[in-house]
Amino acid sequence: MLPLTGGLYLGWALGANDASNVFGTAVASRIISFRKACVLCSVAIILGAMLQGEGGIHTLSGLTAQTQTSLLVVSVSAAITVTLMTIMRLPISTSQAIVGSIAGISLATDSMHWGGLAKVVICWIATPIGAMVIAYVLYKLLAAFIRHVPMSILTRDKILWGGLLIVGTYGSYALGANNVANATGIFSGQIEGISDSQLALFGGIAIAVGVLTYSKRVMMAVGSGVMPMDAFTAFVAVSSMAVTVHIFAVIGVPVSTSQAIIGSIMGIGAIRGVYAIKFRSLRNIGFGWLLTPAISLILASAGYAIFCI
Amino acid sequence: MLFVNKKKKIQSQISEYCQSVLECLDAFQQAVKHYCQAPDREAAKAAFAEVHKSESKADDIRREIEVVMYSKALFPESRGDILGLLETMDKVPNQAESAIRMIWNQHVTIPEKYHPQILQLVDVCSRTVDAMVDAAEKLFSDFTNAAVAVGKIDELESEADKIEAGLIEEVFSEPVDGIATIVFRDLIKQIAHISDRAENVGDKIRIIVAKRTI
Repeated sequence: MLPLTGGLYLGWALGANDASNVFGTAVASRIISFRKACVLCSVAIILGAMLQGEGGIHTLSGLTAQTQTSLLVVSVSAAITVTLMTIMRLPISTSQAIVGSIAGISLATDSMHWGGLAKVVICWIATPIGAMVIAYVLYKLLAAFIRHVPMSILTRDKILWGGLLIVGTYGSYALGANNVANATGIFSGQIEGISDSQLALFGGIAIAVGVLTYSKRVMMAVGSGVMPMDAFTAFVAVSSMAVTVHIFAVIGVPVSTSQAIIGSIMGIGAIRGVYAIKFRSLRNIGFGWLLTPAISLILASAGYAIFCI
Repeated sequence: MLFVNKKKKIQSQISEYCQSVLECLDAFQQAVKHYCQAPDREAAKAAFAEVHKSESKADDIRREIEVVMYSKALFPESRGDILGLLETMDKVPNQAESAIRMIWNQHVTIPEKYHPQILQLVDVCSRTVDAMVDAAEKLFSDFTNAAVAVGKIDELESEADKIEAGLIEEVFSEPVDGIATIVFRDLIKQIAHISDRAENVGDKIRIIVAKRTI
């Protein structure tokens, strides 16, 4: 059971970092209160983890064979990496952190399943591109609808407010379904008496606790950091992110909500003009994405050298 | 549900506010007409008081709307936009009242030969305010078309400017009668400012629509 505590810590760190991608824009622009966003997000994450989280758990568990100690090293290394990035207010990919850790140990023990890793890496590349395409198409469709339907500015607000609540909740569900594997996936079949569905539940709860206790930092940074967003662009960005992440949850590959939301913002930027994008923030986030797997790989390798050899 | 009720309340209050602005301009037009027909201060007193009364009513409604708006029913951005719009709109009845106050406090005499132009200027200003109210109401029914309605305000404001300039030129083309002429010129400017204020509202509406244009 001890290694699972590392997974729960990772789940907490994931919740603290990734909730920002779902509700960051709505909370930062004060459309939805932080408390309301946290409650909706937490409940939906647990539901997503329980109902559709097992696919990703199977994929991640197939990446490498681990011992009890190495499981703990992998999860704690990834969790420390994500925590560091959260303190730095950088939205990063927990998938990259966990895969970086696994790669660190697997390379040392020569136990990496390259086929599984290739599938994960391909999906990492496909995530922002897919989100970008979905955001582009969704923006065009919704814009055509809004332009041709007479409505007051108050009705427009009402529709977008309800829409943001719905897609935020859906995005949280997709986050739980997809990312629970990052928290507890590597423990699949490794701990006696704990099934995959129980792992999904524990992981979901850990992520929800992370959202409730420590998500405000990154949420505020993401909400206003990359591109100033109004309610409409926030709605499109979160919808596209949620759809993309949900698709990958169904495929069974844990991907990054951070990469999906940035892809969505790029898709919107392609329509509205890239001048609105704050490239400095984007550069910092990109830097965080490069650092994440590298740090977790180094931490996991060091941890393995200290505790497992 | 709460949002829907707040929305309906705000919509009906804004409609009420627009009506009170129109009433104020109507009272202003009647007061000036009355003063031109019978330039007797005492006789015009009731008509002047009516302008003040309708301006105060508009103020009261605006304050009520502000209270509802601050109960966090709307997006912060929309709240700011609507409050800003109301503040700008409020300058229109204020300006009408200010012109009336000037006539009253400074005992302004409107020379008979300029009555037709003054009444024409007042009429154009009043129509500018009608167009302004129409554009503002469009924000709360079909906001994408509000910018089109703003075009009408611009046209009428230009017309008011032309009348104002022509009138001032005509006043000063004759031997200047000292302070009375200067005061009369100021009154012309005060009246023409009504359409300028309405134009400012139009500009504000244009920005509100542009911010939401996709």
